[in-house]
Amino acid sequence: MSVEASITCQEVVELLSAYLDGELDPSTLGRVEAHLAGCHGCTMVLEEFLETIRLSGALTVEQLNENQRRTLLEAFRDWRAGT
Amino acid sequence: MMLVDELGPSMRRVARMYVSSDAVADEVVQEAWLGVVKGLDGFEGRASLRTWIFRILVNTAKTRGQREARSVPFAALAGTDLDEPTFEPGAFGAPGEPNAGGWSTLPFDWRGMPEERAEGTETLHVIGGAIAMLPPMQAEVIRLRDVLGWSSDEVCNALDLSETNQRVLLHRARTKVRGALEEHFRSVSET
Repeated sequence: MSVEASITCQEVVELLSAYLDGELDPSTLGRVEAHLAGCHGCTMVLEEFLETIRLSGALTVEQLNENQRRTLLEAFRDWRAGT
Repeated sequence: MMLVDELGPSMRRVARMYVSSDAVADEVVQEAWLGVVKGLDGFEGRASLRTWIFRILVNTAKTRGQREARSVPFAALAGTDLDEPTFEPGAFGAPGEPNAGGWSTLPFDWRGMPEERAEGTETLHVIGGAIAMLPPMQAEVIRLRDVLGWSSDEVCNALDLSETNQRVLLHRARTKVRGALEEHFRSVSET
């Protein structure tokens, strides 16, 4: 029975976005999951990543200001008018 | 107008990456929208509409940048730190030590922040400020992925990035935003 090479904390933290996006190959995924199961520090960073993503989603989405919006609408109108 | 509002600010920033001024970027955005309107009949729905709009924008911006004889190296947009570790190497045991690559100093644990503090305006300012400090392509990837909730496929297509580059840029951006939150929560917990 082969034991998969273990993976360090320093390596795990570099893989967290790929892990969360489901982009790790099965062997790396297995090693990351085994590591997380036994590592308090990396689990904490993973949870903070999730929280960072959640809080980023609460940012107000910027909108165009009136000026920008007006310029764009004028361009559409000019185009429709064929000028 | 909803789509124009939703995509407008990102489109201006993306255009600005490739051209020389805000004014030219605005022209590129207009030109791109006109391209969208004229080309709508040819939109086959294979990509999402917003992705398709961004492709037109990026192509328009790159063409305009070339006409301005402006060549922007990828590193200037993506950041020059992509090959470096995202976490401070000093937080881990050095090679050769018994705990090589393991945590030697754990980051500040801010998971237990009271919700009203964690989700307050101040926190959102910290996140917005951290994103604004990122190299332009890192900033745009995290905005599209985590603020607007686009998928990684959409972002790769929209910004003309390889999967690997998208992932590296996103991870670097998230790590910096997480770091800014850590600093913020650490300082408020000490007061």
